[in-house]
Amino acid sequence: MDNIVSCQGVSKVFGTGELAVHALRRVDLEIMPGDFATLAGPSGSGKTTLLNMIGALDKPTDGRISIQGQTLSDLSKAQLSELRLNRVGFVFQAFNLIPVLSASENVEFVLELQGCDAGERRDRARVALKEVGLEGMEDRRPSALSGGQQQRVAVARALVSRPGIVLADEPTANLDSKSAMELVDLMARLNGDLGITFVIGTHDPNVMKRSKRHIEMIDGKIKNDKIS
Amino acid sequence: MKDILRHFLPLAWRNLWRNPRRTVITLIVVSVGLWSVLIFNSFMGAWSQASKDTSLKLLIGSGQIHAVGFMDDPSIDALMTPPAGALKAALDAPEVRFWTSRLVVPGVVQSEYKTLPVSILGVDPEAEREISSIPGKVVEGRYLSGVADDGVVLGLHLAERLKTGLGRRVILMSQYVDGTLAERSFDVVGLFDADQQTEDFYAFTGRAAGATFLGLEDQISQVVISLPDEGDVEATFATFAQAAPELDVRTWKELNLFLATSDSFMKGFIYIWLGVVFSLMAIGIVNTQLMAVFERTHEFGLLLALGMKPRLVLLMVSLESAMLIGTGVLVGALIAAGTIWVFYDGIDLSVFAQALEMFQGGQMLFPKYDVPSFFIFGLIIWVLGIIVALWPARRAARLSPVEAMRRAT
Repeated sequence: MDNIVSCQGVSKVFGTGELAVHALRRVDLEIMPGDFATLAGPSGSGKTTLLNMIGALDKPTDGRISIQGQTLSDLSKAQLSELRLNRVGFVFQAFNLIPVLSASENVEFVLELQGCDAGERRDRARVALKEVGLEGMEDRRPSALSGGQQQRVAVARALVSRPGIVLADEPTANLDSKSAMELVDLMARLNGDLGITFVIGTHDPNVMKRSKRHIEMIDGKIKNDKIS
Repeated sequence: MKDILRHFLPLAWRNLWRNPRRTVITLIVVSVGLWSVLIFNSFMGAWSQASKDTSLKLLIGSGQIHAVGFMDDPSIDALMTPPAGALKAALDAPEVRFWTSRLVVPGVVQSEYKTLPVSILGVDPEAEREISSIPGKVVEGRYLSGVADDGVVLGLHLAERLKTGLGRRVILMSQYVDGTLAERSFDVVGLFDADQQTEDFYAFTGRAAGATFLGLEDQISQVVISLPDEGDVEATFATFAQAAPELDVRTWKELNLFLATSDSFMKGFIYIWLGVVFSLMAIGIVNTQLMAVFERTHEFGLLLALGMKPRLVLLMVSLESAMLIGTGVLVGALIAAGTIWVFYDGIDLSVFAQALEMFQGGQMLFPKYDVPSFFIFGLIIWVLGIIVALWPARRAARLSPVEAMRRAT
């Protein structure tokens, strides 16, 4: 089976000279379709940096990353935008919804960028919100939703464009334990039912317990990569 | 593009009201700026028009025709025959509201107490009522009754200096064509109230009476022409020059350089004011838009991370600026229209009458709706505002998604 993500010898250095920080050191990693993987490790281990690299949000100092066969270093800024729009879904720690848009409009926003017509946008957003259990809350603004509900909207937004992979960086960090569990259950169900590939950067043991693949990072390197 | 606009316009509008205080401040800056430009334009236009009307309706008219040499030495040697042939046909054309001819010679007026220099004007009183404001300014006695009326109408200040008055006799002196002295006594039949310079400088009598006094037949010194307000002065006077190439044809702009210069100066000054206002406005717009971009750095990072192309970020921020400045322009134009409406019936400046006389200004200002200027100045401010707001928009579009999201969290 072809991988979705391939990292070969990926390094990232912030700063130069004596102040240089080696965030990633020659990381090799392959993410396969249907993976439900967690990237675990202490703060500063390189989880977020690696997720940013895989998500084409940042460029490695060295090495090669490809997503669904497309090498990121070969792409222009606009092509990287296209790739993020069509092939990668993001869920961030801080929810990151657009405050002036309703839940439905936040989800539709990605589809609008993809050029979908209004009818299709509405229908797909409604389905995505239903999938994450927010049926009936389509018209609420983020300020009228709880943290857990906002993160569900973020998941719906990440899923609605049918990306090859969803990258989630500490998605439960700002949630209470109940909401965190519900979110993990949701992602696990979406992975199981729809086959959506998740890579989740986390400290949360509950998230790690539910994952099928544990990738442990320390000092910018992958220490363990186990499939349970 | 249409679809993008349909989606982004409501989003841009909502984004504007995320910080109502800042939006309202920018709206006030833009609307007050445009209001000041439009009001300044309207009031300066009204002032210019009032000055022009006052000066031109006094004696100059829209322009005059003289014999060559009259403007250098307005003596009895520089006379012309009354308009005939092609010139008369041109003067009788529908583009001309009215015209008349005058006899103008330098002379002196003498009372029992004093002798003072004046310009003696022989006029057609009926025609003068159509072309000059002097007949309406007679405050004592009467204006002349016909071309043969051999009374004299003097200015109030001149009469005061001569220590003469209504019903008294004065002697006018000038030269015959042969250079010998012409003198005759005239009854003072009327006194007019105008600006001091006009009161001191002119003595009016009937044109035929003046000709008799100077031993002339039908010669005249000048033709005064009045065009309708909207008349094309240059084009119409060009036809007069074509019809009478041997004569000296001049528009009011050539006859009263001060007025012509102040007219164009005022127009230029409006653009200087526009520049000043816009510079201040630009600082405000750039400042508030930069603040808006800075506050939303995290959000722009998010949009870029989600796959929004940088040019769409630029478009979105520019749309917000365009909407904000456009709304300010609309509000400013509406307030300006309302202000002009309030003063549309005129502003009475008669309390400043003496000062206004110095500047040849009218005592009533009538601000008008200059509709093209509403569009032109509004458009200039809108377009320039969008251009200066492109800088903050470019900053937003050039953000690195990771840096932007990291910086703000």
